[in-house]
Amino acid sequence: MTSTLRPSSLSEKLGLLSEVALFAGLSEEDIADIGHSTTMTHCTRGQQILSPDDPPERIHIVKKGRVRVYRITSDGKQLTLDIHDKGTILGDMQLLGQDRLPEAYAEAIDDAVICTITPGELRRLIERHPLIGVNIIAHLTRRLDAAERELEAMAYHRVDQRLARKLLDLGQRFGVKTERGTLIQARLTQQELAEMIGTTRETLAHTLGDFRRSGLIDTERHQVVIRDAERLSGIAEGDED
Amino acid sequence: MTITVEPRSQLGARGIPRVTAAQMAEVDRLASDEYGIGILQMMEQAGSHLAEVVRHELGGDLVGRSVVVAVGSGNNGGGGLAAARHLSNRGAEVRVVLARPAMRSSEASRGQLATLLAMAIDCCVATYDVSDDELAAAMGTADTVVDAIVGYDLGGPPRDDVARLIGHVVDARRPVVSLDLPSGLDPDSGMVSGIAVTAAATMTLALPKPGLFTAEGPRHTGRLYLADIGLPPSLYHGLGLDVGSLFATGRIMRVHQDR
Repeated sequence: MTSTLRPSSLSEKLGLLSEVALFAGLSEEDIADIGHSTTMTHCTRGQQILSPDDPPERIHIVKKGRVRVYRITSDGKQLTLDIHDKGTILGDMQLLGQDRLPEAYAEAIDDAVICTITPGELRRLIERHPLIGVNIIAHLTRRLDAAERELEAMAYHRVDQRLARKLLDLGQRFGVKTERGTLIQARLTQQELAEMIGTTRETLAHTLGDFRRSGLIDTERHQVVIRDAERLSGIAEGDED
Repeated sequence: MTITVEPRSQLGARGIPRVTAAQMAEVDRLASDEYGIGILQMMEQAGSHLAEVVRHELGGDLVGRSVVVAVGSGNNGGGGLAAARHLSNRGAEVRVVLARPAMRSSEASRGQLATLLAMAIDCCVATYDVSDDELAAAMGTADTVVDAIVGYDLGGPPRDDVARLIGHVVDARRPVVSLDLPSGLDPDSGMVSGIAVTAAATMTLALPKPGLFTAEGPRHTGRLYLADIGLPPSLYHGLGLDVGSLFATGRIMRVHQDR
């Protein structure tokens, strides 16, 4: 941290702190207690937040604004690694199951507010307020879920899911609104549509029939009308039927 | 000394099987799950061949030629990053521009990027690390711009960072060599919704995508090359495709649009 400004009032500090998911569910009194043991930094655009020279094992929570994490390349130029916004936890995150980014710098790209906690402070806080430990577990679970969703997206989706996605995509690009729903203005044979989603014509016809019977779509003369985009999105997202 | 130009083998487009984006996703899956051919192996082939097509397009010699490589965060971008290494190895002055922050790239692409950083190749992220004016100047004076922004997994009109980088490539008005297909072109329909690169040449991988031949495809594709990424013909049998010995006379084929 290059310059640490104490916030103008404790209430401001408290108000901001209550938004941090780590502290969700805690009483105002508890948050007041935490407020005394953490540091809030108000950063202006371009101000440095993290550098490889910082003391190790500190976590920073982006409370407001956006932060750019970057490294310096061998020819002295900056290479942006990531952009983070409100709610992101940065820094040396072994306590949160994540390794420190080597040689990483971070700077505010908007006016930002950063809350800094040392591991000792965090441990003491967890001992005093076990709910923070529960919130950390929830945070890690969300990260695991996100990683699993990514894996799932890479794997092959079910035919109904692929068809729903393709129809929504075609609707977005070539659709016109009509009384009956979104008409996809592209004449496609079942064979062409089957090839687009990598299945056989027979499977496609069967799946289109299912969608029609469920009131999701209508088909006529090689054209598809999306009648219920919301439920179709549900299938595209992988909801059960 | 004679210079061997590998992409001299020629094919008519008729008779070459075509693969939709969904079929190509299945090809990638079969390659890795059933044949143990990993994404890095395919990326390496794509990058090496792409550098060869750029050399061919530039008249046969890469030494001192300036090439800006525009890459997206997916595996198409990873192919572009591999090409950047091969182009630099062979004497080109290479600058790499990423559409999105580095950590948003696929794992294989991050590996390629790490190699480029170790080689001290100039890499930057558009918008964040380089001003629009500087980027326009770099692209506008390049001998060639390589477009490895989006591949067959386009999934709707390009948006945000991706659309902005495609816009830079379009505005540069320099000869573009696209990897797999021009970024923004729908691989299945050959239609453009939003913005798309118009390439002088496109090197498509494994098998051509139908969109290269229909609707707006031919105008955006330019000269079409087909490159081998080492997939066995038996892999395609699972999709009902018979590719035969497509690359018998060369690993990069020039494909002519049927008239």
